Formats: sequence, C-alpha cells, structure tokens
Amino acid sequence: MSALLAIDTSTSRTSVGLIVDNELIWSAYEDGATAHAEAVPRLVQKALAINNEISQVIVGMGPGPYTGLRAGIAFAQAFAWARNLEVTGVCSLDAIVCKASEYTAATDARRKEIYWAKYEGGKRVDGPHVNKPAEVIGKLFVGEGAHKYGLSAEVSYPDVSVFHLLARVDEPMYLRRPDAVPTLER
Amino acid sequence: MSAPLVLGIETSCDETAIGIVRGRTLLANEIASSVQEHARFGGVVPEIASRAHLEAMIPALDRALKSAKVSLSDFDAIAVTAGPGLVGALLVGTSTAAAIALALDKPIFGVNHLSAHISVDYLTHDDPLDPTIALLVSGGHSSILQINDITSSVTSLGSTMDDAAGEAFDKIARVMGLGFPGGPAVDLEAKSGDSNAINFPRGLTQAEDWRTRPYDFSFSGLKTAVARYLESTPQYKKADVAASFQEAIVDVLVQKSLAACTATGIENLVIAGGVAANSRLRELAKQKCEKAGVNLRIPSPGLCTDNGAMVAALGSLMSSAGRASSSVDFSASSSLSVTAVSVN
Repeated sequence: MSALLAIDTSTSRTSVGLIVDNELIWSAYEDGATAHAEAVPRLVQKALAINNEISQVIVGMGPGPYTGLRAGIAFAQAFAWARNLEVTGVCSLDAIVCKASEYTAATDARRKEIYWAKYEGGKRVDGPHVNKPAEVIGKLFVGEGAHKYGLSAEVSYPDVSVFHLLARVDEPMYLRRPDAVPTLER
Repeated sequence: MSAPLVLGIETSCDETAIGIVRGRTLLANEIASSVQEHARFGGVVPEIASRAHLEAMIPALDRALKSAKVSLSDFDAIAVTAGPGLVGALLVGTSTAAAIALALDKPIFGVNHLSAHISVDYLTHDDPLDPTIALLVSGGHSSILQINDITSSVTSLGSTMDDAAGEAFDKIARVMGLGFPGGPAVDLEAKSGDSNAINFPRGLTQAEDWRTRPYDFSFSGLKTAVARYLESTPQYKKADVAASFQEAIVDVLVQKSLAACTATGIENLVIAGGVAANSRLRELAKQKCEKAGVNLRIPSPGLCTDNGAMVAALGSLMSSAGRASSSVDFSASSSLSVTAVSVN
C-alpha cells in the first residue's frame, strides 16, 4: 500500500515516518545537531525497506538551524523529483503536539534565541518568529527550545505522525537574513 | 557493461551544477550560479550560496535531463562532490544525491572536487592520461599532484603555504577596484598591459626553496608587494599592474609544474581548476611545455571553472574501473584531503 514519507530536520532530532491511510505505520529518529545529512538517508533507507511504494513526500520547512533544515528539504524535494511525486512543506512548529488549547511551541534557534509560534484551539495564531526566550510571553511552553531555556520541564520534538494534517508551507522558514555586510558598508 | 550513464552534482561553492555523461561523452552541463548575489559582499557568503543551491537544484536537474535527452531510469550511478568546500553548500548536493540514489536504487559516488577538476579532461581527450602531473589551481586550492590512477591514486607533491592562486587574483582585483570574481577581471585588464613593467616577486623560487620545497607555493608576499606598489605609485597604470602581477603568479605555477615533470620523469601535465581558465596561464604553459617536450592538457575554459560534468566524469571513471561506491549516508567533508579521490 502506498505511503506518505514524512521527514523533519528542524531540530537536533532527525525524524522520518511512513503514513498510510492517515495512520503512522512506522517511524524512527536519530539525535544529533550536526548529523541530519547522514541521518536522513539512513532513516529513509530503513523506511523504504518497510514500504518502498511512496505516494507523496512531506517535509518540515522549519523554522530551524539552516544547514540541518536544508539537508531535509533538499532530500525531500530530490526524492520526490526522482520518483515524480508531489512534495509538500509544513511548518515544523505546527507538529509539536500539545493537548492544551493554548500554548507556545518553541525550538532552538541557536545564538541564545528560539523559534516560536503561539497556538489557540488547534490553530497557529502568532508566528513563527525568532526572539530571545525572555522576549516571548506565554503560559505553557512546549518543544526543544522551551526545554533548553527552562520554559518547560519536558523536551518534545516535531511529530511526523501529524504532518499530513498540517497547513501547507511553500518556502523554507529561515526567519533571519544571512549574516553579511556589503563591502561598501564596511 | 556499456559505457555508464552518470548524473553528477556539484555544490561546493556558489555554482549549483549538474552534469550528465555517458562514459566519456558529455551529454549535459547545467550551471546556476549565485555569483551575482555575492558580488556586493566582495566574496562568497556561505549562507547565501546554500540558500541559492536549494532553490536552484530542481530546476537545474530538470534542465540537465532535458538537454541530455535521457530519462531517470537510465542512470547507472549518481556522483556528487563530497568535499572540500563550504559545508552548508556541500550538504545540499549530498542530500540531493542521496535522495536520488535511494529513490532510483542506484549506487552513489561521493567524490573529491579536486580530483573531479582533473578528471574532466577525460571528456575532451581520448588518449590515457595516467600517470600525469597535475597542477590544480582554483580559488581555494593550489597544488601540484602526481596521479598514477585518477580513480584511486593521487599523491600531493606540494601546495600553497598561504593563499590559493585564485584567492590572490580576487584580493588584487579588490584593491585595484576591478570587481569580483577577480580572475576574469585581472585577465581582461592584463590584456592591454605590459607584463614586464613591474618585477613582482616570484614566491619560493630561491635556491634554498628549490632544494627544500620545490613544489610549494606562496602568494602572500606577492600580494603585499602589489599593495605596496599601489600605495607608493599613485599614478600607476592598472593594466601594467594586472599584467605584471598575473605574470608573477603564472610564471611560478608553470616553472614548478615542469620541475615536477622533470623530477618524476612523467611527461604529461594536466592543468585544472578555475585558474586554468586564465588565458596567460594557458599560453605560457603551452609555450614552455612544447619546449620541454611535455604533453600538456588543459580542459576548455568552460570546463575549468566549477561544473557538474567533472563530477559526472569522475563518477563514470570510478564506475567503469569497478571502484566501490559510497554508502548512502556518507559524510561530506569541508576539508577533504586532496589525496582522497572518494569517500566511503
């Protein structure tokens, strides 16, 4: 049976899942903030051994640290291209699951900042943005970035099992411009 | 097996480049460059290059496939630059290549960008190349190599102790206001200048250097000498400075390459890498090699700068030679040694 291949590399956790008929039938992850480019092919190879018939690719577009994020997106778009499939992007913060009706999802943006978005009644109502943790006001925080800066006791990551339910995002969510100063302004 | 059909992907710097070769025949060579986005910064900005690679990749793949008139299922192998280069840029290429290899269930070759620069010569010349001395000169590297087998045996005889030759061109172009990238700008300016006007120093060519490090280069002294000359000579003639500076670099590159040929008894010389597109280097190397009886090969200027055809060419040679492919989760390396032809 054909499956959706879901990939996320927006945090230090690289996750890959297979979704058939709206149900996650398999998933696996590897942790490592600089290992996404090796982890994605390794995990997808395992996924294809379970089910080689892929009908669509869904990938987390971030926000997330750029190099790892791009490894996932580059892989997803090329896999889809080679198999002539549709590739869909989603906002990775939307996949951080929380049962509460109001919460803030936050991932680590490095440089002592977090990527964050606010949710109410299952919908994103603010964000994604990138800020220092102290600048973000909220009661309940979830996610790796929230945990790192003491805003939540537990650590959680984007969950690829809900990727097929999320709103579509077409561009990588970098949120910051590249650091570079034109020669004339130096 | 008939000649392998290989897809090559190159993203080590600012060119998103796709090449397709069948055996030693070039079928497609597509390049999307972000060089214009870097010009106002005076050099390549890694994050800008990486973002541009991600955007340009699929359209470049589409164009290459169309111009080669082949279909995806016909490929025998995927080759990709595994290093050296900018790590964020490299990973867009390696992730793309791994995905295509897995999607099509084909072997992947993670190859060395520098070996690929040399192997592109196989697409333009028929007779065997090995063994050969190779002068590899680009914006990031300046080395003299001995190549016994381009798919497995590359040894380094010497390299630059400071700046790469292409880097020196960029820096001199910047101080003279000639623009970025500096190589083509200096080459053009030098055409109307006198290369003997100013006697700039030839690095590491003293008797002691020839004895202890005959194949190493140094260009930082030259750079300083040019900067001093510009400061002390307000009425300087741009074209003369460009021509004399270029002559100083090219002279040393050719002298040392031929010395390596003489010392090793190898009568072949390949000049490769972006700086090999320099018109004066090509001209001088031709003259000196003819005199020395050395068989000189330089890829056409379009294949000297970064391209995907060179990566596909090396992949094709490795595939034909029966070399082991890389694992699909191989690691890219920003500082991959010039002697490592491929990665596991």
